[in-house]
Amino acid sequence: MKKRGHRLYEELGNLARFVENAMKTISDAGPQIVSSSQQLPTASSHLSDLNKMTEEGTLEVMRLTELIQDEHSRITKELSAVVEVLQAMDCTKLVQRLGTVNSVVIQEGKYLTEIMTALSFQDLVAQRVKKLVAILDEVQSKLVELVVVFGLQQNGEKAATEGTAGHLLKQLEASKTSVMKQKVADDILAQFGFR
Amino acid sequence: MPADPSMKILVVDDMVTMRRIVKNVLKQLGFSNIEEAENGQDGLQKLRAGQFNFVVSDWNMPVMTGIDMLRAIRADEKLKAIPVLMVTAEAQQSNLVEAVQAGVSNYIIKPFTAETMQEKLAKIFK
Repeated sequence: MKKRGHRLYEELGNLARFVENAMKTISDAGPQIVSSSQQLPTASSHLSDLNKMTEEGTLEVMRLTELIQDEHSRITKELSAVVEVLQAMDCTKLVQRLGTVNSVVIQEGKYLTEIMTALSFQDLVAQRVKKLVAILDEVQSKLVELVVVFGLQQNGEKAATEGTAGHLLKQLEASKTSVMKQKVADDILAQFGFR
Repeated sequence: MPADPSMKILVVDDMVTMRRIVKNVLKQLGFSNIEEAENGQDGLQKLRAGQFNFVVSDWNMPVMTGIDMLRAIRADEKLKAIPVLMVTAEAQQSNLVEAVQAGVSNYIIKPFTAETMQEKLAKIFK
């Protein structure tokens, strides 16, 4: 009986040491966990911005492609009208040459359609980014749970902006507002004598 | 029966870029009577309100997915005969099987080409 009691105390002692070590490890990682939990929403927001940027770029390429497609339709109609007149005038050689031009226009039309369908990359990228944002949101919510459950503290105000992640996030944030427009760059260049 | 160029088509996709691509390809293939919907629910409402002859739909959409809309179409006496073509990034075999079981008319995996769209249309409206 005494032996069993002694063994039980030993096991309880081991368990207490294990719990204490685990608590210390979590506590040591506390500032990093707090910092990460604060950085993740910003990272998510930048990913969502990425979607907007690719969407805007894609829509602009689409707009220009559609303009060229419309122009091609007009060219085809004009060519067809000219061919009719030339056929009536029996200008066989010119009709043949315009036929060649028309083939080129048709082939270019196919390329333009290929450009349009190739732009579906944006949809595939956007879907993946949305999934990544959802994953980040879940990780962030788990980290916040850890912070709350273990009462983790951040070491000082700067923790959230320190480390590689903090540094990169700072750069991303800055790029939103500090990107220089060409006009500003030209003004500065002019001050240095560039004309 | 080949596809009627004047048939009314509904393109359902939550991404504006994809709706524009599908519309553009359909236009190049000779179809111009095309309307758009942002998700399955919006799509169903438009289908119930108008006389559509063909639906091109994405799978993954908020509010109501394409597969749920497809099931709703097939369960609706007035809509069940409308051919539904799914254009989706869901490229798992299980997705395809699920779509076939739900009554899809054909299935295109993104990214796709105009030739693929033309081929699928020819198969649906043969």
